[in-house]
Amino acid sequence: MFDLEPSIVEWRRQMFAAGIKTPVPLEELESHLREELERQMRLGLSEPQAFEAAARQIGQARALRSEFKKNDASIGARFVELTGIAWGVIAGLFSLWFLLLLFTVHEVNWAGRMLGLVAMASTVLIWRYGYRILPVIRHPQVRALIGFAGCVASMVWMGIFIKHILPPLIGQVAVSPGRLMVSFLWAWTLAAMLAGIAPGLGKIAFRQNQPAIS
Amino acid sequence: MIRKELVAASAEPLILSLLSRGESYGYAIIQEVKARSAGKLQWTDGMLYPVLHRMEHRGLIKSRWGESETGRKRKYYSLKKDGKAAMAKHHQQWSLVHSILAGLRKEQYV
Repeated sequence: MFDLEPSIVEWRRQMFAAGIKTPVPLEELESHLREELERQMRLGLSEPQAFEAAARQIGQARALRSEFKKNDASIGARFVELTGIAWGVIAGLFSLWFLLLLFTVHEVNWAGRMLGLVAMASTVLIWRYGYRILPVIRHPQVRALIGFAGCVASMVWMGIFIKHILPPLIGQVAVSPGRLMVSFLWAWTLAAMLAGIAPGLGKIAFRQNQPAIS
Repeated sequence: MIRKELVAASAEPLILSLLSRGESYGYAIIQEVKARSAGKLQWTDGMLYPVLHRMEHRGLIKSRWGESETGRKRKYYSLKKDGKAAMAKHHQQWSLVHSILAGLRKEQYV
């Protein structure tokens, strides 16, 4: 004797066993299954026949899983991109803060201020247009790996700068506060550029991926 | 029946174009495509969802959970700004291909 609800539970179990483990796709697929089932029954099929037709129409669990798996890789790449953006924004805000200091501290000369402005402009231009020189990497996992390396390199670089480069500079009597600020600004600029690799790779891949008939 | 490769290539522009008319959900999108193509453009129903999720991750569309008239949970999708831009690009490219094909076909009958 056919019982609809246990059949749907069993269908969900099969989907889960095949690897569709996250609740959102399963909920959506079940909702779809039920709508198709109702349509088939309105067309005159019996409940077991309608269930079989609806399940067939949705497709094989393994084939669906392999399609969803492609998305999982994209989510990883997207996460790294967002990490890069977040770290880049932090670096950018620090750069902006140092730039404001450069323009408000009286003992900084115009050369120092200009150097600071160039550093900030370089960051903005590279974040805006730098992605164009990056290669198109279609594989999301490779993109995520390179982007992650960029983020780590950015953080390591700031660590090295603060721990090993800045203290000797501060120790030098001849170094003015303005020069220190400019050095810090350029250090943050490099950090922002390295962090920008992850979103840059995502952007160039997305742009290349836009046409469906390429 | 339309070839598999063409069905796959046309999925994104069709979804974007359908969503440009207002929010919709997976089942309705499939039924609409079937109806508009007189059944000639057939997707394996389940395959639509990875495509929708991918488009959502790419920032082309957004989704929200809602309820059907019968109270059943439904996930509704709608177009985002980037989706509108992508749709315009798709239309431009598909129109170009269409005009080339139409031109070549016309030449055959001259």
